[in-house]
Amino acid sequence: MKKYCKQYRIKIKGRRAAVRPGRMILWLFLAALALIVLYPIVFLISGSLMGNDELKSYLGAVILGKNGYAQFPPLPMFPTLQHYVELFLDSPEFFVMFWNSMKITFGVLIGQFIVGTMAAWGFAKYDFPWKKGFFLLYMILMLLPFQVLMLSDYLVLDFFGLTDSLWGIILPGVFSTFPVFIMYRFFTEIPDSLIESAKLDGAKEWQLFLYLALPIGSSGIIACMVLGFLEYWSLIEQPMTFLKDKSLFPLSIFLPDITSIDKSGIAFAASVVTFLPAILVFLGGQDYLEQGIMAGAVKE
Amino acid sequence: MDYAAISPGGQVICAYNEILSDGIHPVLYLLDKDGKANKMSFELPKEEGEQEAGQLSNIVTKLLFPGNDWALLQDGPGKVYQINVSDGSVKHIYELDSDTSVFEIHAVGNTLIAQDETQVLCYDLQTGEQKPSDEALNQGGSENGLFSAVDTLDSGESIYNLSRGGLYHYKFGGSVMEQLIDGNMNSLGAPAFYPIALAMIDEQNLLVAANDTNASSATGVCVLKYSYSADTPAKPDKELKLYSLYDNKEIRQSISRFQKEHVDVYVNYQAALSEENGMTVSDALKLLTTEIMAGNGPDVLLLDGMPVETYIEKGVLKDLSALFKESGGSYFENILNAYKDENGQMCAVPARFKIPMMQAGSAYFTPGEDFNTFMERKDTMANMQPKTVVEKFWYTCGAAWQKEDKTLDEAKITEFLAKLKNAYGEYDSSQQDDGMQMSVTMEGAGTEVEEDTGFSQGEFNLAYGKCNTNFGLYKSMDYGMQQAVNEKLENGSIDLMPGQADHVFVPFMVMGISSKSAQPEMAEEFVKYLFSQGAQKISQFGGFPVEREAFLSVIDGHQYEGKEDLIAVGGSDLDETLSYPMEPTPKEEIAKLTELVESLTTPALQDDVIKEAAVEEGEKVLKGEQSPEEGAAAIIQKVNLYLAE
Amino acid sequence: MQRISKKVFVKRQKNKTHKNMRGFLWILPSFLGVMVFYLLPYADVVRRSFLGAVDNRFVGLLNYKTVLENTAFRLAVKNTLLFTLVCIPVLIIVALLCAVTLYKSKYGRSIKSAFLMPMALPAVSVALVWRLLFHSQGLVNHWLSGLNIVGSDWMNSGSAFWILFISYIWKNLGYDIVLWMAGLAGISSNIYEAARVDGAGERQCFFYITLPNLKSSLYTITVLSFLNSFKVFREAYLVAGDYPHESIYMMQHLFNNWFRAFSFDKMAAAAVMESAVLLALIMLLQKAWDSKA
Repeated sequence: MKKYCKQYRIKIKGRRAAVRPGRMILWLFLAALALIVLYPIVFLISGSLMGNDELKSYLGAVILGKNGYAQFPPLPMFPTLQHYVELFLDSPEFFVMFWNSMKITFGVLIGQFIVGTMAAWGFAKYDFPWKKGFFLLYMILMLLPFQVLMLSDYLVLDFFGLTDSLWGIILPGVFSTFPVFIMYRFFTEIPDSLIESAKLDGAKEWQLFLYLALPIGSSGIIACMVLGFLEYWSLIEQPMTFLKDKSLFPLSIFLPDITSIDKSGIAFAASVVTFLPAILVFLGGQDYLEQGIMAGAVKE
Repeated sequence: MDYAAISPGGQVICAYNEILSDGIHPVLYLLDKDGKANKMSFELPKEEGEQEAGQLSNIVTKLLFPGNDWALLQDGPGKVYQINVSDGSVKHIYELDSDTSVFEIHAVGNTLIAQDETQVLCYDLQTGEQKPSDEALNQGGSENGLFSAVDTLDSGESIYNLSRGGLYHYKFGGSVMEQLIDGNMNSLGAPAFYPIALAMIDEQNLLVAANDTNASSATGVCVLKYSYSADTPAKPDKELKLYSLYDNKEIRQSISRFQKEHVDVYVNYQAALSEENGMTVSDALKLLTTEIMAGNGPDVLLLDGMPVETYIEKGVLKDLSALFKESGGSYFENILNAYKDENGQMCAVPARFKIPMMQAGSAYFTPGEDFNTFMERKDTMANMQPKTVVEKFWYTCGAAWQKEDKTLDEAKITEFLAKLKNAYGEYDSSQQDDGMQMSVTMEGAGTEVEEDTGFSQGEFNLAYGKCNTNFGLYKSMDYGMQQAVNEKLENGSIDLMPGQADHVFVPFMVMGISSKSAQPEMAEEFVKYLFSQGAQKISQFGGFPVEREAFLSVIDGHQYEGKEDLIAVGGSDLDETLSYPMEPTPKEEIAKLTELVESLTTPALQDDVIKEAAVEEGEKVLKGEQSPEEGAAAIIQKVNLYLAE
Repeated sequence: MQRISKKVFVKRQKNKTHKNMRGFLWILPSFLGVMVFYLLPYADVVRRSFLGAVDNRFVGLLNYKTVLENTAFRLAVKNTLLFTLVCIPVLIIVALLCAVTLYKSKYGRSIKSAFLMPMALPAVSVALVWRLLFHSQGLVNHWLSGLNIVGSDWMNSGSAFWILFISYIWKNLGYDIVLWMAGLAGISSNIYEAARVDGAGERQCFFYITLPNLKSSLYTITVLSFLNSFKVFREAYLVAGDYPHESIYMMQHLFNNWFRAFSFDKMAAAAVMESAVLLALIMLLQKAWDSKA
């Protein structure tokens, strides 16, 4: 598929001379749109670098109820790392939360990698009674909002003694049906002929999975992991419902109250620090992510 | 005499901060064993550099006498001087002053222990050197709070310290600070109990000197002896879970008393919003719901701030009417029955209450006048914040908004907003400065429900004409102050606050027992205890007790009996000082307030969703951002959604 | 050609003999977890939909009746439907336009990265920015006042719906662009070449080649966009709380509030109805897709 794209691109390059003014306008529009889309991110970063006094003068209208409007320049006048220092040095709970987020996110991802790939493989390349029904069930569960199952989930977790423990967040995440749905699409792409020839060579079924499905489907799996990372890194509802012990809280529910001006700077800094790992994973996995997202859309 | 300390050898050192024209000059005296006093030749060195206005630095704030020939002295900014008592020379100076925090100092053996919120520093008193920081000690210190007193049995090898959580023992170089006495199990953890000194007699017996504001003696200072008993279980086997949204001091005090009488029960009190964890009321209630439904919920609920009506309707709370069957009129029945339904069930019972009251000169307020009359007057609410005004009037008006079918009456709300706006006048945005806003935010940091709605905050402003009226929730009687303010006003008087509803009271410390509680008998016993005279007499200014005797003891000013002092209350301006004699409340005033309480009929509408909508929209109306009609419509829209659910 | 068809034949035969539970073994670990963490709770929800809230007595279909008559429920259903019906088509069409434009360009990649970025921003941070932007004295009104336009209290008026709409598009545009690009990549360039040889212009190519060939991608894009549409609740909740302006009062607000008020009876009944609707919707989509593919 990749090779295919490349060929295509070369061709387009050859045709670039024929760009029309209408297209130029569309282009400018898109670039502007991209800038607007990025604005909130710039906003957070610049806010995190402003001192308290500067923030107060810009945002006083919203936070302190002063008259007039809030304003916000794209760059801080007097940049300072004060809030980052405060965050890292003066709030030990921040590290605990960061660590909890790591545990939750990677716990879920490892689990999904094992359980999810297997199920997706089963759905993609095997036939068994009620397969369609099962898959439908998986899709519905994927679409059900969390609030619907909140209480019953809690009761089940409580029964297994998993409330107020990170496992209570990780395990349901591991068995989420969304990665199955995504990876299923990817595995169906693997040509049957390939599987058959491997079988003729005497490959066992688990070997097919390990040496054929996983490597060929790797970009899809990684994409799925990136999506999973973004999802579980910013998880809110589950930890808020199932965790009581403050020392177990993940970063995603850490938002210092911005109504007090002393803390709005830290809130900005915390946002940026929370955003950073996500963006790193995201940029690192972007190629795979695109392919993975694509996997769902490409026709068979 | 401001400070004194005794050495192991029996000498006593005293400090007196003498105020002279050019500042404060601390003077030290040394008393030998025979009681002969000698003035020491010691002059506290002046702080270098500019001194900030209002900050007292050249002053002794703490005095310790751990060695026989030298003493420790801490000054205003926190610097510690180790001085030789024989000649007054300074042996070492410990630079503990920092911008952010002041260190508390203690001395055991040859070690100086200095502690602030985040760390514990140790210094060797022989050499003056700082010892390497001790991780376990730091951790113990930050987890258990500031040490209020420290002692040792083995000349400084290990320390015993008292803090909020109880008594702890730590051996230097050890890995963990060990809890010896759980403060929750006895008076050590009570909120009004401030330990001053600790003396270990041996490993099993100790003496604690403390300032107990609820103690029977007038000064409140007491010395208690604690002994180890093998019979008392370290942690009782029975646990009673108590839950509230906001931290409640009265209940903490009651718990420590209850546990003294019931050594087999451990009352586990959790105040969901007491910590700064960014949790909203909504999140907390959601957690509570899951726990109750899963059967892990609390046994006893302190319902302030919770949707009481909904809980009653849904059968979450148990009927408590049996507890009050034989009360024989010892309670204010009108208040006690605030949540009584037509079947005589009492699923929620207020243990305390507050009264919306108003005080002003006759030009602005006549006792007994109705809402309309009051609202026609001009300038009654000059210099007040829109939000506070709406919130305070919400209590006396909100109760009148609900129609038979529980929906809200839009006409009433429009009337409320329109009249309030009319009386309030133009909003002057310049009157609010950042400092004021800041302090409001700091205060309302989630621990107290209605810090801004109290009555007593405005009394002083009223007396000095900064405000023309003072109103809010009246929760304790300070007759002297009240009278002094009245006398400053022209025909000043104090009475119920006018509102769309009449004779309103605000139920407080509303108690309920979960219908899913696994130990209803014990829960009932605890609730019963909270309504007993003893527990009701505890006062931390969280409202009047509902029990009559306790009510009288709280308002009668008996603590002033036989005293002849004056109390002076001053503001930021030194010329403005209000002084009044300390004296018990006159009989007729007691009778008047009692009668007033008996006349109260309407509990204020206790629904945070409606209140929040009303305050938010009302504030915009007073600020002139929207018309009263728009405000009322917005309130109705939000609340109808809520009521329709 | 011949060889391939032979293989297919072999496979068919294999499938026939192995049409047993072998494949199910692959699903089993996942299914067990799904049973415990999703199906079991779901069964409990179904059970609760026939019971009273706290006392657990059997009430038959009463809860369903109560819920259907509940005005808050009707409003929430109306809003959720409206949001879905407005946002998803708009998102899909805008994303398609962007995808078609970006697909053919050399800067497409970096612009696409920009569009994908918001996906990585945690909801809490988004809420923070939204609050400062759309406050009645916030930044948007500041900019508008610069243009001499009087702003409004965005989150407390009907415009709240459109804020949520923008928020949804903003967060998911990149995701959908990539989805569409994948679809575009699947169209053979030979078809375009052939069409051009026949004298077809760019517009004709788009309408007669590109669109018909993308039909099959539509199904997945719709399902995923639908799934993501539930996630805007996080931002809505963080910005406007339990009782937002009535135009953005969604099903999840209602569920949340019912939960807090111990109304598990109503909550369960509504949940069962919602999943029934979801089931019907998916079946319908799948059917439409199957017939087209």
